Amino acid sequence: MRRHGPMAAVVLAAAVLAGCGSDAGSGGKTEITFWDTNAGPARTPVWQHAIAEFEKANPTIKVNYVGVPIAQSAQKIDTAIAGGGVPDVADVSTSGLANLVAQKALEPVDERIARNPALNGKFNEALLTTVKNVVPDGKMYIYPTSTNAGAFWYRKDWFKDAGLEPPKTWSEFFATVDKLTKPGENRFGFTIRGGSGSIAQMLEVVYGQSGVTEFFDAAGKATLNDPRNVTALEKYAGLYKKNTPEGDLQNDYVKMVAQFDTAGSIAIMQHNLGSYQDHMKALGPGKVASFSVPRSDSGTQSVLSNPVGGVGVFSAGENKEAAFKLAEFFASKDMDGYISKETGVIPANTDVTDKMPDHIVEAQRVLNDPATKVVQMPYHLPEFNEITKTWAEPQFQKVLLGQLSAKDFLDQFAAKLTEAQAGYKQRNGGS
Amino acid sequence: MSGRRSRVSRWQIYVPLALYLLFTLVPFYWMLVFAFRPAGSTAVFPWPVTFEHFATVWNGMGFAVFFRNSLMVGVASLITTTVVALAGGYALARYAFRGKGAFMVGMLCTQFIPGALMIIPLFEIFRTLGLTNSLWSLVVAETVFQLPLSLILISGFIRNIPYELEQAAWVDGCSRLRGFLAIVLPLLRPALVAVGSFAFIHSWNNFLFALMFINDQEKFTVPVGLAYNLGENSVDFGALAAGGVVAALPVVVVFAFIQRYLVQGMSAGAVKG
Repeated sequence: MRRHGPMAAVVLAAAVLAGCGSDAGSGGKTEITFWDTNAGPARTPVWQHAIAEFEKANPTIKVNYVGVPIAQSAQKIDTAIAGGGVPDVADVSTSGLANLVAQKALEPVDERIARNPALNGKFNEALLTTVKNVVPDGKMYIYPTSTNAGAFWYRKDWFKDAGLEPPKTWSEFFATVDKLTKPGENRFGFTIRGGSGSIAQMLEVVYGQSGVTEFFDAAGKATLNDPRNVTALEKYAGLYKKNTPEGDLQNDYVKMVAQFDTAGSIAIMQHNLGSYQDHMKALGPGKVASFSVPRSDSGTQSVLSNPVGGVGVFSAGENKEAAFKLAEFFASKDMDGYISKETGVIPANTDVTDKMPDHIVEAQRVLNDPATKVVQMPYHLPEFNEITKTWAEPQFQKVLLGQLSAKDFLDQFAAKLTEAQAGYKQRNGGS
Repeated sequence: MSGRRSRVSRWQIYVPLALYLLFTLVPFYWMLVFAFRPAGSTAVFPWPVTFEHFATVWNGMGFAVFFRNSLMVGVASLITTTVVALAGGYALARYAFRGKGAFMVGMLCTQFIPGALMIIPLFEIFRTLGLTNSLWSLVVAETVFQLPLSLILISGFIRNIPYELEQAAWVDGCSRLRGFLAIVLPLLRPALVAVGSFAFIHSWNNFLFALMFINDQEKFTVPVGLAYNLGENSVDFGALAAGGVVAALPVVVVFAFIQRYLVQGMSAGAVKG
């Protein structure tokens, strides 16, 4: 019996693997695949519930959910486009939209929206502008579902103990951070993001302080090195080591949230609405709350445009009608409200009436305030991601370490973006 | 005098070893603390113990399915890699053929090519063969990537077994295959354990192939499941650590059982190239 062990193992493994390779069949239903490109325990159940609701409303369509980890989602989609095997529908953010449209991977949806009374005219205008701005032809390639907003998460209990209120202006912000820094008690007023993902947060503080409202001037020159921005960056970088832990130089999201939620050594953490669930789970509503990006001392409220989330239909999909139905279902009032509420983001559909949590209501207030100036980030530039990730992040670390001046950094950064913008205009007929 | 010398040498051995162990075990300790202590706790010890994170990953995140898939791919890769390496290694050790040296160099060169570079070509090949979205694609890819090193290891080990033993078996009436099975194979146990365990562990840990070649939630493997815990805006450290324990357990168990064979197999295979 023992001598037959290896052979039995081979036969068993082959049988099981063969079984796993076969299609179960879907009972004559139209089968489509949806890729969730930011899968995880917080979002997967939300999408699966939305899919179950869709299948209930459309009994002839079966949707296969595939969760893709966020860090590898772009690589997986690019591989599928190059090698075949794209999904029918996927959630696509404007930060990756230009790349997909350049590969002609997505179907335009303008006409579908125009023909659909449940969606036509129902999306937030500012978000529509962001979606159209990132592609050269100005078309819509996703049904917008949500957007994010910058948020400063703070320790409510520490603020209360110190008799402090959430700051409304940047001067108040820096004063508050100073008051909450107590190195002897291993408490820091702020945690600065010095590692991966640092640039977007740095830009939010810089433009927020300076009150500069455009990323490029009329001549196409980047406004990054405006003297007001240089001063703002000097103040921001000055927080490093004075009001933050020294280890912040390598801070990515994971390290930042670990310090704030788990180590309990940080009073204020700059991020966005998306980290709400993490904070609530670790600290609870009694200890944590958020405030929006403070106003500049001149009174201007400048916020950066955030990537707009949405759902796109892939051109190579075989069941496009069913795919469009699914995408439109996700963007509809009821589902958009449900998904946005559960995942902690601002819904794109203006008909959504769901009662949102306080931090989202506050972010909506800022976004919809006519006085708020939205600085449109250059997500349309294919080089933007490479410039910020590969070049700017290490240079920003040098600024924090005092090895590079804020002015030199912003001068070089602005020159690179100005050049990229000129190239973009040239490639797209000066549009 | 000699006693003092031996005490000094013991310190010289144990202090660096202890430091090395500290660096190695602290991340494991961190993982165990986060896996077993309640969410939100900042305790240095995993007390009170909770299994909520294990329930989350095993039932809520589908690790039961991922674990089964990883196990099947690991076992199948182990078997295919070992069988093919055994046959190829024997041929390399016992037969002289034209281009053998170039073949060996070619196999070594394949080790310089990163797997990520081969993703799209492999994807197209598997699509043509109808293997995308099948666990077989992972087994085939793993076997192909493991084979060069396995072949070199096994052929080196076989060269160390005196050819005269096989010849004696032939004189006694054995065929070449019977002689191989009766004489050579039992002596290859350490090499088979080394090659098999490497194949299993490599395949168990492989993330990229599983993510790229599979498009079905029910067919993903443990490393993909682990990556789900690192969201864009959310990191569940408890679930991440519990998933890490689940992922590490089979590897630790495999090493515990095979370590004495492993060292023997690695060193014996490395005597002659």
